Amino acid sequence: MTAQFESTEQFRAVIDRAMTLMSEDPDMGPKLRDADVPQRYEFDDMDLVVNARAARQGEQGNLYWEWTDDVDWEPKVKLTMSSEVANSYFQGKENVPVAIARRRIKAGGDVKSALALIPITKPVYGLYRSMLESDYPQLVV
Amino acid sequence: MDDNDELAANEQNPSGDTLPAAEAAERAGVSLSTLRRWVALGLFPKHDTSKGWGPSAIAQARSLVKLRERGYSIEQLQEAIDEGRIVGYADELVAEMVGERFTLKEAAKASGLKAEVIEELIAAIGLPAGALEDLGAEDVEMFRHFETAVESGFPRDALLQTVRVYGQAVSKIADAEVRLVHLHVHEPLLRDGVSSERIAEQMDGITEELLPLFSPVIDHLHRRFLNHFVEQDIVGHMESESGGEIGQVRVAIAFADLAGYTQLTEEVGDEEAAGIVERFVANVNQSLPDEARILKTIGDEVMIVSADSASLTDWAVGFQVLSNERPLPRIGIHCGNVVFRDGDYFGREVNLAARVAARAAAGEVLVTWPVVEMAGKHLEFERIGEVQLKGFSHATELFLAGLAGEK
Repeated sequence: MTAQFESTEQFRAVIDRAMTLMSEDPDMGPKLRDADVPQRYEFDDMDLVVNARAARQGEQGNLYWEWTDDVDWEPKVKLTMSSEVANSYFQGKENVPVAIARRRIKAGGDVKSALALIPITKPVYGLYRSMLESDYPQLVV
Repeated sequence: MDDNDELAANEQNPSGDTLPAAEAAERAGVSLSTLRRWVALGLFPKHDTSKGWGPSAIAQARSLVKLRERGYSIEQLQEAIDEGRIVGYADELVAEMVGERFTLKEAAKASGLKAEVIEELIAAIGLPAGALEDLGAEDVEMFRHFETAVESGFPRDALLQTVRVYGQAVSKIADAEVRLVHLHVHEPLLRDGVSSERIAEQMDGITEELLPLFSPVIDHLHRRFLNHFVEQDIVGHMESESGGEIGQVRVAIAFADLAGYTQLTEEVGDEEAAGIVERFVANVNQSLPDEARILKTIGDEVMIVSADSASLTDWAVGFQVLSNERPLPRIGIHCGNVVFRDGDYFGREVNLAARVAARAAAGEVLVTWPVVEMAGKHLEFERIGEVQLKGFSHATELFLAGLAGEK
């Protein structure tokens, strides 16, 4: 079962919500901040890139992200996937190593850090799904 | 304690949660006079035994008996108690000690299970043979459950196999729990030179809060895993090929370990190397697809089983892509019919999978032909050739798995 985003704007809005869920979650947020792994996500079908890193002093939340490559930090992990895979991943339906083997996700950079982030980000699956059920039910897979 | 004292003890504890000294001595396996001497020597500082013997005091007496049997002198025991090294805790866990006791014969009569079956059962669980002469009401209840299961038609041998798994798994859990308290509570307190009274207080406080949480967690996890395996069983029924013998299941088996681990231990020391293994096992565990699970770990090696050979192979290739730092994992996968017994998988195919993994180099995924046959087209398999694996009379065709177009 696949779910399509209506537009680039909708996709961006949903991923912004997912990032906010991770950043503000009392369990995940501090762990992601401490892990301090700058990540670059490329969503090739949407022609979008988001760069995320641990929030610096004075910045709100635990994560900071920008929808551009024009950032003043170097990503450590680079992941490329489609919007469909991203949506599926955030719902816990995409196993990262399996998706890499199936070419659904392309990984680059310090990929070992990506492996370390898997358990930290697992709690987002339930939160993301609840958010979709309430605001974007057509995206539930 | 004379007869009057015992009477007084019983009167002060009408609920029956303490025992008179003579009975406590019997439960602990020591003479009454010895027990009295130990009290006089101050070996029970935490317990007011003048009002009767509670479960934790009896448990402490049993521990002292064991230590005496191992050759420790009374002076050494006194010193250890003064320093807080011998601290009993978790009274509720030993509460049954003051309840009704049964001999093997009595338990057989009360449960309806033959004495020899109880003996088999206790052996299967893995309890020491001495347990047979000191059975409690909850043991008898467990024997009744076993009898009910046998009467409902389950083969006795199959039930004993399951009970053996219970014993192994639960003893491992209990061992881990006690080590948790020992390493993270008791040892730090001892290292900080905290007084024995404070240690006893802290241990009691922490364990009173912590231990009651364990059973519900285990209960919950048991149900979660039951659900998981029921689902797996259903999938297995749908996807299994006919022709396998009864008692055999078709699974994919992977063995993964860290190449050069022995050398790494030499370089960085045991502690750091153990940490690396812990992270490796955690990474495997956290990243496996739903239908696969770690069956066991042996040092730095993990054995993984899955009903789905294709997704296990995908996982292995993806896992290697994500593992780009030394020590690199090496993975071997084979697929075939295996015997499932005592919660484990046995047979030629399991041995073959282990041998395949042993032939893999750092960063490689080596597989056999049945795995290649089941794999998806997004993977590429480079034929290594027919390899004579240790212990096998015929050569095995091996393949190196990788992402298509990257070789």
